[in-house]
Amino acid sequence: MVNTVTSLQSTLTLGRHGDQGISNVVLQEIKDFDLFQFAAWENTVETVANHAAQLIGSQTAINPRAVQSSGAGVVFRVEPLKWWLITPTGKLPLEPTLEVDQGVALNLLHSRSWIQVSGEKSATLLNQFLPIDLRLSAFPVGTAATTAFHHVGVTLWRGADGFNLLIPRSFAASLCELLFESAQQYGLSVQQPKSL
Amino acid sequence: MTATRLNTGGRIDRSRRVTFSWDGKTIEGFEGDTLASALMASGQQILGRSFKYHRPRGVMSAGVEESGAIVTLGEGAYLDPNVKATTQEVFSGLSAKGQNAWPNVRCDAGAVLGLFGRFFSAGFYYKTFMGLPPFEWGRGTGIWMQYEKLIRKAAGMGEASRAADPDHYDHSHAYCDVLVVGSGPAGLSAALAAAKKGKDVILIEQDFELGGDYLNQSDPVVELKRATLVDALKAAGVRIMTRTTAFGLYDFGTAGLLERVTDHLSVKPLHQPRQRFWTVRAESTILATGALERLVAFTNNDRPGVMTANAARSYLNRFGVLPGQDIVITTNNDSVYRTAVDLVKAGAKVTVVDLRTELSNTLLNKMSQVGVVVKTGLAPLKALGRKIVSGVQLARPNGTQWIADDVLSCDLLLVSGGWSPVVNLQSHRGSKPIWNAKDACFLPGKCNDNVTMAGSAAGYWQNDDCEASGLAAASLAMGEDVKPPSAVGWERPLKPLYEVRIAGQKTKSFVDPQHDVTASDVRLAHQEGFVSVEHLKRYTTLGMATDQGKMGNIIGLALMADALGKEIPDVGTTRFRPPYTPIAIGALAGRNTGEHFKPLRRTPMHDWNLKHGATMTEAGLWHRPWYFARPGETLNEAYIREATTVRETLGICDVSSLGKIAVQGPDASEFLNRIYTNAFAKLPVGKARYGIMLRDDGMVMDDGTTWRLSENSFLMTTTTTNAGKVMVWLEELLQLRWPELRVHVSSVSDQWGGVSIAGPKARTAIASCLEDAGVIAAENLPFMGVRKTTLKGGIDCLIARISFSGELAYEIYVSADHGEAMMDLLWDAAKPMGGCLYGLEALGTLRIEKGHVTGAELDGRVTIDDAGLGQMASTKKAFIGSALRQRPELTRSDRAQLVGIFPKNRNQTFNGGALLCEKENVKGFGEGWVTAVTHSPALGHWIGLGYVTGGHAAWQNQTLIASDPTRAGEIEVEIVSPHMFDPKGERMHG
Repeated sequence: MVNTVTSLQSTLTLGRHGDQGISNVVLQEIKDFDLFQFAAWENTVETVANHAAQLIGSQTAINPRAVQSSGAGVVFRVEPLKWWLITPTGKLPLEPTLEVDQGVALNLLHSRSWIQVSGEKSATLLNQFLPIDLRLSAFPVGTAATTAFHHVGVTLWRGADGFNLLIPRSFAASLCELLFESAQQYGLSVQQPKSL
Repeated sequence: MTATRLNTGGRIDRSRRVTFSWDGKTIEGFEGDTLASALMASGQQILGRSFKYHRPRGVMSAGVEESGAIVTLGEGAYLDPNVKATTQEVFSGLSAKGQNAWPNVRCDAGAVLGLFGRFFSAGFYYKTFMGLPPFEWGRGTGIWMQYEKLIRKAAGMGEASRAADPDHYDHSHAYCDVLVVGSGPAGLSAALAAAKKGKDVILIEQDFELGGDYLNQSDPVVELKRATLVDALKAAGVRIMTRTTAFGLYDFGTAGLLERVTDHLSVKPLHQPRQRFWTVRAESTILATGALERLVAFTNNDRPGVMTANAARSYLNRFGVLPGQDIVITTNNDSVYRTAVDLVKAGAKVTVVDLRTELSNTLLNKMSQVGVVVKTGLAPLKALGRKIVSGVQLARPNGTQWIADDVLSCDLLLVSGGWSPVVNLQSHRGSKPIWNAKDACFLPGKCNDNVTMAGSAAGYWQNDDCEASGLAAASLAMGEDVKPPSAVGWERPLKPLYEVRIAGQKTKSFVDPQHDVTASDVRLAHQEGFVSVEHLKRYTTLGMATDQGKMGNIIGLALMADALGKEIPDVGTTRFRPPYTPIAIGALAGRNTGEHFKPLRRTPMHDWNLKHGATMTEAGLWHRPWYFARPGETLNEAYIREATTVRETLGICDVSSLGKIAVQGPDASEFLNRIYTNAFAKLPVGKARYGIMLRDDGMVMDDGTTWRLSENSFLMTTTTTNAGKVMVWLEELLQLRWPELRVHVSSVSDQWGGVSIAGPKARTAIASCLEDAGVIAAENLPFMGVRKTTLKGGIDCLIARISFSGELAYEIYVSADHGEAMMDLLWDAAKPMGGCLYGLEALGTLRIEKGHVTGAELDGRVTIDDAGLGQMASTKKAFIGSALRQRPELTRSDRAQLVGIFPKNRNQTFNGGALLCEKENVKGFGEGWVTAVTHSPALGHWIGLGYVTGGHAAWQNQTLIASDPTRAGEIEVEIVSPHMFDPKGERMHG
């Protein structure tokens, strides 16, 4: 097995950083995941939404702001006709298929870097870069959004463990440097990357 | 002004002394002091010098409207000029100094300019030095350019550091239901009322304490009320932001805030930003921004020792400083009497000079009982004292004129010319303030946004009324049908007063002290025909200093109205613009500075490249290897070696930054057929094709290869620079123009790590890295062939035989996290063969030798024919741009066309960007231009690409001049075919 090198491998220095004695922000890279895209035609939206959700044994993922998750992965609608499915590496075949009358599937392996942002000040930190309303009332657990981070389109969802940020791989190191620098004012802990 | 620190009273913490420096002297204050209060308490009277005349200035207010005590903080790179001492908290280690003065503000050599002050009227510099007779006779600015340097040096405010700002700043976003700006009686009440109804409230206060006017009062009952309100707000979960200024209101409830995070701290936490720039989006906004007390224009109204009356109350009751012993308060309204009582109670001798003659006996008796002397029917004519106030000459109105009256001695002259509600933020929303003649002020006008004014900002002058208006504002903000309380105004009517002067006397009475604009300047502007308030502002610079007219605008308008014989509302008012108070440029930039100015893109092999000696360069947002220098090698030596090695053996180049777009669906080939000029419908699976796409107007948009991976799936590559643009274009076409096509496009640029392996030994090197070496055999992978295969170690990859360098070349793509593993494999194979890593510079050399175009040549102005690729435009199908590319102007035979360029003397060089001109006609735009240059190792001399009218055929065997007047002068060049090396392409087909 050949070693893989993620975009954040040399960006985030593990350990505690910053002014505070406690860590109000925790950053952790999530790795070893597969990312698939399923794109529907206008008349096959429901079919594809169900197909994507069923691959992880979840409910339909028709609501564009909702994340459906199960032990097998997460699925959410990233564009009106497109869904992303995230599963642990190797759970699904690398070449997902979809009947051409239903839509098209695409393996987006390694196209995004995944950083989990948790802790008491995680929303405060993210709102230094993301312009969307992250109050719990407006963005509860299970909500997803596509938004902008320093002009770069990123995908965000709130899970039980904190916020999850999918960043285009080429931008990930640069944007995570910003997160790393800013988070230190709240007290930061960078944890060992973990596999999905 | 003989200010003294009181032993009791105020909100300062006398148990916590702070030591700071003022103009090099060590001074003590207390926690809770502002710089102004601490300096005042320590006997410092002259704290600034005026903008133009270098007149001495002291503390004139207690807030953001300050025009006198403007100082510079910090040292070295941390210099922070034009800070108002009235808003800066003192802290141990604070370093402050006066500005616009030499050697210091107390004794300033520049004050000599004041002797010539009568000449420095509005517009003086321009009228005098532009077109100076007899040298320029009324026109030209040559002499002005020289004088300007001296003038700018003599006048001005603080000087910023030339060093880069060492602080860092943050941006932040927040949302709320109700945003309340201002924490005075109205703001606190409004915030609490909204919070109690379950609203998510943010309360903004520019001060470091909540309370607004409550803080200026000594009554313990008032303090208890304030503290109770604050505790209730905290309990209700209101997000409270002190030291935060709402500097602007924008569309749809968006407010801009500036939070000063560490400006008040002795030891700045390492990772805290100095300031935070907030963007807050609120469903509704309540502006309880208060009101500012105005001065009056009279002679020497800027002398240290002249300040607004309410400021004295603030220094006394909040900071425990009695600002004078023998105090005269001049007024035209009721607000000063509470100040007078407080000052007398603190031990000062106080005389109130009220312009109004009809004061109630109740008031007069009350004042008499506490020992306040009241004189009526008088106003200040002139502040006496050379550097510091020692008395005041009073005047009495006589019809429309004034006549001199008594002289009163004093060490502090307090002035109240009325109050101006702070309507600035509402004005940002386009609301036009309405003149209220009764209270002589502008009140907020109609606002279409969900913005509600409250408190004195809405014209309520008593605390009780302000609280009631705050409650009403909260209800209104929540959409309830509530009528705001009617404003009762002052108990006794105010008598408007803007200027006191005796006609014919030429003196300096300031309208806008911060910019040294006098009442005479306003009249001069009128005399010279500036009748509009907008022209007045620009001619005199009234209201254009850092206080943005907070102190002077109303007086200026009143004087202009008087000169025009109009009423103030007929003259109009300028609308306020953001920011309400100055903002550091650093706060605007936030963390987007240095390497983070733009989001930076790194290829999957970024670290690998660095480990192997790459010097990086920026290509759009990407960092790409520029060259890989060996020890002691220069850029030139490195790229020439790299290009030579590619031609002789092989080289490896990171090409991950190329744009990559997945085009999928049953109509994908039809879609490509429509956007590319050449045919794509029948491109076989496993083949790639070079394509050019045009814009609708027939100009070249981008180029690249597209690989057919399966019947319904293509991988399109674009130039690095145009990847985003092309992606948006394809989306637009599919969504708007051809929605019937069942095609999806997805950017996959970040998914793949890509590398080009070029050179005669490329095939051999790659073969040794493949699990099945036969895949790359010529018969299995012919020119423009594409295969999915596997690198050793089980790395799935795409491999295509395509060439940008003109050599036998391949591009290999692996999923990004395998990029480094791929490089290790390839480099281990290439290095023993004498191969090299090469960067953008060598890549440029190789492609210029071949005449391959990039963004330098496809700059949006060229057609496919101009670029020499006209044969790629199909005549058998329609494609985007196919009609408009045939416009007569675009098909002229004398259009500039792509050519190669050699220096006539092969030892010479010429520059990219040079103009190509006829030998005897080196002028204007010439006949063409040079787009790219390099030393060609293959040819052994300098070469270039460019465009020339008529192309190669028109200039064969002729000499042109590469004219570069700003750099290299003129070089003789020859025009050759753009295909300067291996024109038949034998090497890449080998």
